[in-house]
Amino acid sequence: MSFDARGAVPVRPLRIALAGNPNAGKTSLFNALTGAHRKVGNYPGVTVEKREGSRFRNGREYVFIDLPGIYSLTAYSIDEVVARDFLLDERPDLIIDVLDSTNLERNLYLCLQFQELGIPVVGALNMSDEAEAKGITVDEKALSALLGLTMAKTVGTKGSGIEGLLDLVDRAVAGWVKASGPALPRSIRYGDEIEARIEPIEAAIAADPLFAARFPPRWMAVKLIEKDADARERLSGHRDAAGVEALAASAVAWIEKHYARDAEIVVSERRYGYIRGAAREAISRFGKPDFSLTEAIDAIIMNRFLALPIFAAILWGVFQLTFKLGAYPMGWLESAFAWLGGAATSALPAGILRSLVVEGIIGGVGSVFSFVPLIVILFFLLSVLEDVGYMSRAAFATDRLLHSFGLHGQSVFPLMLGFGCSVPAIMAARTLKSPRDRIATILAIPFMSCGAKLPVYVLLSAAFFPKNPGAVVMLVYAIGVSLSLASAWVLSKTALRGDPTPFVMELPPYRAPTLSGLLWHVGEKTQSYVKKAGTVILASAILVWAITSFPVYRPAPGLADSGTRAEAAMEQSFAGRIGKFIEPAFKPLGFDWKIGVATVTGFTAKEVIVSTLGVLYKVRGGEGAGSSGLRAALAADPVFSPLVAFVLMLFTLIIPPCFAALATIRAELGWKWLGFSVAFMLILGWGLGVAVYQVGSLLALAAPLAAGGAA
Amino acid sequence: MVVSDARAGSEFRVLRVTLGKEVGKRLADMGFTEGAEGQVVRSGFRLGGAFRGPFQVRIRGYDILLRRSEAAGIEIEVGS
Ligand SMILES: Nc1nc2c(ncn2[C@@H]2O[C@H](COP(=O)(O)OP(=O)(O)O)[C@@H](O)[C@H]2O)c(=O)[nH]1
Repeated sequence: MSFDARGAVPVRPLRIALAGNPNAGKTSLFNALTGAHRKVGNYPGVTVEKREGSRFRNGREYVFIDLPGIYSLTAYSIDEVVARDFLLDERPDLIIDVLDSTNLERNLYLCLQFQELGIPVVGALNMSDEAEAKGITVDEKALSALLGLTMAKTVGTKGSGIEGLLDLVDRAVAGWVKASGPALPRSIRYGDEIEARIEPIEAAIAADPLFAARFPPRWMAVKLIEKDADARERLSGHRDAAGVEALAASAVAWIEKHYARDAEIVVSERRYGYIRGAAREAISRFGKPDFSLTEAIDAIIMNRFLALPIFAAILWGVFQLTFKLGAYPMGWLESAFAWLGGAATSALPAGILRSLVVEGIIGGVGSVFSFVPLIVILFFLLSVLEDVGYMSRAAFATDRLLHSFGLHGQSVFPLMLGFGCSVPAIMAARTLKSPRDRIATILAIPFMSCGAKLPVYVLLSAAFFPKNPGAVVMLVYAIGVSLSLASAWVLSKTALRGDPTPFVMELPPYRAPTLSGLLWHVGEKTQSYVKKAGTVILASAILVWAITSFPVYRPAPGLADSGTRAEAAMEQSFAGRIGKFIEPAFKPLGFDWKIGVATVTGFTAKEVIVSTLGVLYKVRGGEGAGSSGLRAALAADPVFSPLVAFVLMLFTLIIPPCFAALATIRAELGWKWLGFSVAFMLILGWGLGVAVYQVGSLLALAAPLAAGGAA
Repeated sequence: MVVSDARAGSEFRVLRVTLGKEVGKRLADMGFTEGAEGQVVRSGFRLGGAFRGPFQVRIRGYDILLRRSEAAGIEIEVGS
């Protein structure tokens, strides 16, 4: 609650929705408006992120709610449903429509629909710097007068024009309160003939005042003419729903007969016609922006023969850079955690507490945090590609290929994020419009080896394929990509069969990214990984420690050798007993109970496999993948062979990734698909692992390292 | 003529969208309505008749990507 200048009368905070087309600069403007005062949550029921932020100005609090970027107020994609439900159900005090000044024709199309909602609208003519550079001049006074809403020029990335915009907000709200009612906002007229059909529908809707208070009659009437299924559903709350619907049906029939095309198309045509008329007077060079720079770059990047190779090269470059750059901070973090472990060891008295802190907490969480730099760098590079505008080019390059596997060009970004962490990747799949593409993409994502699986590969390939560890890791990654494509293909032929879904995607011009924008994206995506490390992995690290440490082993007096004693202690522990119990299931894979325990604990998160092996093999400080101690211990174990190591990598690749990813799949797709996905991954992982091990054994590859490594 | 038949570089005027329901409405929302002027900027990779990448089409001052199935549902008249 805030107070006005005199500090006496409390002024209610203004709730303002920030809406607009994708790529219009909404995020940049939101950040400029709210500074650091924001929080990120989710819209109820869906995992579309909801950002809220506030600003104080002249004793008044402005709360901004960032709506997802949309093109129209239909219910075509989840994003549109979310934006529209928010506007209809929560009725913000005002909408700021963020408009891309270089592309006003299409951007204003959405604006006209906002005006019909009976909520005051203020336009932010964003990207005004870019428009100027392209020689587009917008006369905002004239445009405001023509369209009946006030507008101010802004530059989201520099934060200029914000004060002017907020002045307009104040005035619009004040004017609204004075006029008090839907009489004020001017909205588009669809022409006398159509208006003559809309008006009776409007009147019939308004006849139920309770309903009309919830849904603006004008908006409802137009949506019914557009045959909007969601609007029709909402209409069922009307006192005389059948009567209104009959009116609408006859209006639709009349329009379609009269204009000889679908009524919803006629509505679209009228809107674009109206925009043309207004804009011709207020905007110079309307509809003919300069494409020369983007065009020159695209001539190469989108060349029909080069597009795919360039995409592959960029992907490869991103990986190289990630691992080359990431090696340094990873090393620092590893030594920092090793130092922390050492410090804790000397500070705490020997005993259960020390064991918990050093082996359980520091070891377990440390092994995960060491990978944060890799994830941050990967997400940073992918965000650069996204912000520059490359991702839609990648969709162009890959759509044909992905489409033949039952995916979509737009799947490419979520899939690439999957190399970092499945959680943000699964969430990124919401940009896909059709549920089928979205489900196929989400189910394919876990096969893209995420950052957490890498330590397992690194450890095992270094221990068992010392000649060529890098090639083996790359091979596992390649198998993952193939499996993700193959599983999408199988799904598209079975559970997700249906007509191909449309591919309609904007191709934005290239834009220089800003550092703050990049950091914001990286922060958002990394957050989910770090949160996982702090919660799920901490808990599982403690759990793993507990089941390997209890019940406390009392050595028989005869056993003097400490190695044997550690082994015996392990077998006596809960982990050992669980491992022995499940061993039969893992036998066909060539795994013994220790590997079994490691993979079971790996259900919480894949990095845990490495730390569990470290604990099971009782290697001091052996949690880091780079530690030679654990490598040597594994190589010395006769159970392991290059074949078993490879099967373990394969198994790790395929089985369900981690609790956090599973929770995200459930949130996005529900229990049914989660169950399907888990069963699918388990059966495939086990089946393929058994097949590889058994065939490999037949070919006598199962020889221990001494023989196999030398071959 | 439809967009998928037009040669890269050709300028056109939209006659109508023959795709029904959601896709037709979406294309109309994105600016493909009668009389709208545009240009086929490029068509994607092509290998035989069926294996063909998306089209890049300029409409109402911005660029959009369409698959062949959508491009085949937009009737146009190509200027000379
Ligand atoms: N030149 C210019 N670039 C902008 C402006 N606002 C945003 N951008 C850039 O446009 C791109 C898309 O902006 P973003 O805020 O992510 O758009 P959103 O998709 O609407 O949230 C980014 O590369 C921004 O840096 C602006 O006013 N002028």
